[in-house]
Amino acid sequence: MTSIDVQDLTKEYGTRRAVDALTFSVRPGRVTGFLGPNGAGKSTTMRLVLGLDRPTSGTATLAGRPYATLTEPLRHVGALLDAQAAHGSRTARDHLRALAASNRIPRGRVDEVLEETGLASVARRRVKTYSLGMRQRLGIAAALLGDPEIVLLDEPSNGLDPEGIIWIRQLLRRLAAEGRTVLVSSHLMNETASFADHLVVLGRGRLLADTPMREFIHARVQPRVRVRTSDPTALKHILAQHGHDAAEHEDGHWTVRHARVDDIGLLASASGVPLLELAAEEGTLEQAYLDLTATETEFTAPSQEA
Amino acid sequence: MAFTPVLHSEWIKIRTLRSLVGGLCAVLLVTAAISALAGVDSDGADFDALSSVFFGVSFGQIAAIAFGSTAVSSEFQGGALRVSLAAVPHRGRWFAAKAVAVAAPVLAVGLVTGGVCLAVGRAVLGAKADGLTWSEGLRGVVGCGVYLTLMALLAAGLTALLRSGVATLSILIPFLLIVSFVIGDLSGTVADVLPDRAGQVVFDETWDGPLGPWAGLGVTALWSAAALLAGAWSVRRRDA
Repeated sequence: MTSIDVQDLTKEYGTRRAVDALTFSVRPGRVTGFLGPNGAGKSTTMRLVLGLDRPTSGTATLAGRPYATLTEPLRHVGALLDAQAAHGSRTARDHLRALAASNRIPRGRVDEVLEETGLASVARRRVKTYSLGMRQRLGIAAALLGDPEIVLLDEPSNGLDPEGIIWIRQLLRRLAAEGRTVLVSSHLMNETASFADHLVVLGRGRLLADTPMREFIHARVQPRVRVRTSDPTALKHILAQHGHDAAEHEDGHWTVRHARVDDIGLLASASGVPLLELAAEEGTLEQAYLDLTATETEFTAPSQEA
Repeated sequence: MAFTPVLHSEWIKIRTLRSLVGGLCAVLLVTAAISALAGVDSDGADFDALSSVFFGVSFGQIAAIAFGSTAVSSEFQGGALRVSLAAVPHRGRWFAAKAVAVAAPVLAVGLVTGGVCLAVGRAVLGAKADGLTWSEGLRGVVGCGVYLTLMALLAAGLTALLRSGVATLSILIPFLLIVSFVIGDLSGTVADVLPDRAGQVVFDETWDGPLGPWAGLGVTALWSAAALLAGAWSVRRRDA
C-alpha cells in the first residue's frame, strides 16, 4: 500500500492553529481532491506530510514511513508546492538535473519529463523567461521526475491555459489509473470536480469531509428537475396539487426541487400539460461545497441558499 | 542516503548559476588586479613584500563572501529550499554538501589566485621582492586559498542562519571594509581575533601580534565553523 496517512496532525504558528487534529488517508488508484478556502491549511498539511514543517503534534506517513526516513524520496513521492521554486537564472533542464542527481535518478528521466510536460523545446531557456503556466509545468515535471507512486500537487492548474488545464486533468486521471496515490489541492470547485474521485475538505485547519465525490454531492445537493412548458398555469397547478416545490425563472423555465424527471414527466403527461423541455439537474460540487461550509459552525458567512 | 549524489546535485546547482561562476571569476580578477596595483605603489617605511603581493585579498574576499552567500541565499528564494529538502530530507547532510560545494571551488580558485598574485607581484615588485623566500611565497598561496575559502564558508553559514543573502552581506561587507580597517591597526586588542585580521596574518612576512600565520587561519576557521554550525542548526530546526 502506498497511502498517505495523516493521524491527529496539528500545527500551530504562535497561537494560530493552521492544522487542527487532522486525520485522513489518501488511497492509491484514485485522485483525491484536497479542498478548502485559502488559508484552510491545505498547503501546511502538504508541507507537514513532506517533513518540511515540524508538526506540533500528530504524525504523517507515506506508505507507513515518515517522509524524512525515506531514502531517495523523489523515487517514491513527487510534490509540487510552489511554481516559483525553480531559480530564475537556471534553465529548466539544469534545475531538473540537479534534482535528479541528488536522488540518483538517471539523466534520461529529465528529458522524458520535459517531453511529457511539453517543455522540451524551452528546456534550455532560463526559468525567469517562463510564464506562470510554464513554471507550473516545470514544477509538475519535477514532481514526476522520480516516477513516484505518490504524487502531491498544490494548486497545479494555477496559471495554466485552457489547453494546460485539460492536459493536467488527463495527467491526473492517468496517474490514478496507473495505481498511484494522487492528492491535488485546489480551491476551484469546477476544476476539482473534473478530475477527483474522492474528496478531503478542510475548513480552518479541520477536517470537514472525507468522502467519495459523488456521495459528497448527492448527500448535500437535492436533485432538481428543469422543466419548460407552453402552459405555465397548468403546470403550476398540477405541481402544486402534487406537493412539488416549483420556482419559475425569468427566462420561462421552472425548477422543481426534490424531484426526479420520472415523476414530473409522467405527471405532466397524465395531466396533458405540454412539455418543451425536461431535464435532471445534477448537483455540482460547488453547490455541495457551499452547503457544507454554510452549515459548518466555524463559518460565519450567511447561508447561500436562495 | 549517500553523500556523493547530494554533493553532485549541489555542485550542479553552483555551476549552473551564472552569478556564482561570475563571483568565482571576480575573486581571481579582483585579487590579482588590486595586488598588482598595490605592487606598483609600494613605497613606505613598513613595506612588507608578502603583504603587498597579497594586498588584493582584502578586496577579493568580498567576491568570495558574495559567492558563499549567494550560493546559500538562492535556496531561500521562492520556496527553493522546500524543493531541495524534499529531495534530501537529511538536512544536516544536505547542508554539509552545500558547504563542500561552496568550499571546493573557492579553494581551487583561491589557490590559483594565490599563484597568480605571487607571479604578478614578483614581476611588478622586481628587486623589492627578492627578500621573499619560497616558503613564504608558498605560505601566501596556500593561505590565499584557505583564507578565501574560510571567508566564503563564514558567509555561507551566516546566510543559512539569517536566511537572507542581503542581511549577510550588509553585515559582513561593512564589517570588513569599515570596522576592520578602523580598528584593524590596533594590534594587541580584540582586533587580532577578528576573522579577517586573524586570517590575514598569513600574508605578513613579519607579524607582531600574538597569532602566527597558521594560528591566525585557525582562528578564522573557528569563526567559519561557528557560522556553519549556527547555519546548520537553523536549517535543521526551522520549518522550511
